[in-house]
Amino acid sequence: MDVLLNLSLNGLATGMLIFLLAAGLTLIFGLMDVLNFAHGGLFAWGAYSGIWIYSQTGSFFIGIFGAVLVGFILGILTEKWIIKPVYGNHVQQILITLGLMLVLSEMLKVIWGPNQISATPPSYLAGSWEIGGVIIIKYRLFIIFVGLLVFAAVQYMLSKTKIGLVVRAGVMNKEMVQALGINIKRVFMFVFMIGAGMAALSGVLLGPYSGVIHAEMGLEFAILAFIVVVIGGMGSFKGSLLAAALVGLSGSFMAYYVPDLALAANMLLMAIVLVFRPQGLFGMKG
Amino acid sequence: MNWIRNNRMNGIYLIIAAFLLLLPFVHDSRSLFILLTQIFIFSIFAMSYDLLLGYTGIVSFGHAMYFGIGAYCIGIFMKRFEPTTPNFVLAIMTTILLTAVISFFVGLLTLRLKSHFYAMLTLSLSGLFLVLAEKWRTLTYGNDGFTFRVPDFLKDRTDFYLICLICMVLVFFILKRFTNSPLGRVLQAIRENEQRTESLGYQVLHYKIIASIFSGVIAGIAGILYSISLRFVNTSVFTMDITLDALLMTIIGGVGTLVGAIIGAGLIEFAHHWLTALAKEHWIFERWIIFFGIIYILAVMFFPLGIVGSLKNFKWKRAKQTSVVKKEEELAR
Amino acid sequence: MSDLLKLDGIETYIGQYHILQGVSLEVKKGEVTVLLGRNGAGKTTTLRTIMGLNPASKGLITFKGEAIQKLPTYTVAKKGIGYVPEDQGIFAGLSVEENMKVAMQKDDAETRARMDYILDLFPDLKNFWKKPGGLLSGGQKQMLSIARAYINNNELLLIDEPSKGLAPIVVEKVMESIVQMKDRTTIVLVEQNFMMASTIGDRFYIIDDGRTVSNGHMKQLKQDTELRKKYLGIA
Repeated sequence: MDVLLNLSLNGLATGMLIFLLAAGLTLIFGLMDVLNFAHGGLFAWGAYSGIWIYSQTGSFFIGIFGAVLVGFILGILTEKWIIKPVYGNHVQQILITLGLMLVLSEMLKVIWGPNQISATPPSYLAGSWEIGGVIIIKYRLFIIFVGLLVFAAVQYMLSKTKIGLVVRAGVMNKEMVQALGINIKRVFMFVFMIGAGMAALSGVLLGPYSGVIHAEMGLEFAILAFIVVVIGGMGSFKGSLLAAALVGLSGSFMAYYVPDLALAANMLLMAIVLVFRPQGLFGMKG
Repeated sequence: MNWIRNNRMNGIYLIIAAFLLLLPFVHDSRSLFILLTQIFIFSIFAMSYDLLLGYTGIVSFGHAMYFGIGAYCIGIFMKRFEPTTPNFVLAIMTTILLTAVISFFVGLLTLRLKSHFYAMLTLSLSGLFLVLAEKWRTLTYGNDGFTFRVPDFLKDRTDFYLICLICMVLVFFILKRFTNSPLGRVLQAIRENEQRTESLGYQVLHYKIIASIFSGVIAGIAGILYSISLRFVNTSVFTMDITLDALLMTIIGGVGTLVGAIIGAGLIEFAHHWLTALAKEHWIFERWIIFFGIIYILAVMFFPLGIVGSLKNFKWKRAKQTSVVKKEEELAR
Repeated sequence: MSDLLKLDGIETYIGQYHILQGVSLEVKKGEVTVLLGRNGAGKTTTLRTIMGLNPASKGLITFKGEAIQKLPTYTVAKKGIGYVPEDQGIFAGLSVEENMKVAMQKDDAETRARMDYILDLFPDLKNFWKKPGGLLSGGQKQMLSIARAYINNNELLLIDEPSKGLAPIVVEKVMESIVQMKDRTTIVLVEQNFMMASTIGDRFYIIDDGRTVSNGHMKQLKQDTELRKKYLGIA
């Protein structure tokens, strides 16, 4: 029972981190038809800048805040300078975002050096509680909480605000939104910024969870995020949450029982989805 | 006109090849030959990538997978069994089989969907292979890798240099003929306008899978040559770095030109060699890859044709202008 | 009567295809101008070019005296042109209410008055207010699309084949509503259905092979069987 609960919490926590990364990817793809291969770089930058700010200021929350800010800024710059110039050409766009990913990862090594950096949660989030004989790790609950909070906030934005409405409409029919007098390019910038912010948040939350951050972490997590985006459905916000939970849980359980097959299991899931339902479980685009 | 120009280019290539062929008999720098051998090997790898990207318009982010399969295949065969010639041949055949089968299934799964899917799946798959290589220690010795001996006929450095050179030239001419063949032209049509090609009655998926298989197999062969050159193989052959190498070489050299891949390979390998030496003096050179990353981004944005492509375009435009001028002169008379 | 919209020698490429090779027309304020022609002649592309969805490569488009051919689509729309595309462009996953909300640029008394008017004209929309747009019938989607184009104070509506795929009785309803709107706004209509076109249209332009080849009052076209046969293939 103890084991099951812990594995589940672990899986859900990891799932939340992947969700934050995948949600941005899926919204950006749904709206802009752009698959941002540099998303992992934004994630890594969030981790590094967040942990650094934390180490400089002593406050974890300022670190989180700073990381998200860095994410927003990088997101805006990326959309403006990298994505916009090649908008419409899929091949160029795929190639260029990967190039950006490379540059972002390398820049991290230039600024912070090529070695791993350790990260620990702040004292009030470290350790665990004992409830009814079961040990629950605080930081995992924290991640799950933050993830659900972000989900609720973005979901609210999507369903109850005008810009959220425009985003949902844009995913269905970009042209018509323009024909109704709305500058969809500004909406692109907005969505990209939000996606980047979420990616950065995921990065800074992951740091203390795994204990170390390194420049390659972006790519590793990005792969998981892609798997989630495919399974959940390109363009489906809710789909990315469910798929992320699924992938996180399966990874967690597999890692315990059959460690070597964890990544393979997720890949198999992705392959099955691609064969039978390429638009994903909740997808609206093929 | 074209026939003469083509033959002229071919003539130039042959002269350069002959020069490279005779080089070891007149010059004696070991490091130069090691570098050139690497360039030949990576040229083969880059050309296989160009076939996919430059000629068919498919973006793969997992090319390291095929490269690594080749590298490990030969290593495992040579280590586990005796490093004899028949085993060597067996290793090659296994590589070809494995790479063909995998590239077939990957292609089947994703090439009928948007380009993003193929890119994502190949990225994830090569990540999977990397993890596989790390964990299956009994077979691969994990991250540490292992050394192995090679069959006698490959032992001499100069011989190996010549073999790689010949392989590269062969691959170049085979691919050149392939891309100019009816099949190759269909691939180029797919790159230009997939829907149109489909509406003309071509089974686009079949052609794309063929390109995928061909490309994967050649990449595997490059991998074989690579690990023979080092007599060592470890998980680095499955990393993103290798795929990125292919990307950089093809884009900067010039997509869709084959010779661009060779030039790109030369440039990147030279830079790698030269800058790594410089890195010993100043640490900034270790991050040389940022420099290439930025050039790559600029190339994708502004010079999608790369070096060779831009040159060709420039020459073609000049030729067009002169022919237009000539026509006008004629009409004036 | 002044020209609300004027096209002068418009040429449009889609990819490498030279779709419009010389379209010139004048739309007078308060009238219904109908664009007629065979399938593939370029009628839809003309509307799309006006909206900026397929920008013109050559020529001039003037709206209320201002040149708009180089403006981005959303600016053109904001200048006061509403667009009802051939496939209605309904956001299937959004409710009728949400579809309208996306379109509404302001939420003032004037807009609400227009909302009342359009919902009176199309009571079905009121009934399906919270239902997803994808569940509407063809006719209802058409009504929603027209309502969306109308809700802002648009002086010009571009409507593309509203009768396509609709049952005759629904076509009649749509026709009636367009006639009713005539006194509030100017309309450019693309219609294959000649009966509908000739009944509600004031002026016509025939587009053939990407060029405007004939124009005049609708009365003339109703009488000129030769012209109809030549360009429209109907008696």
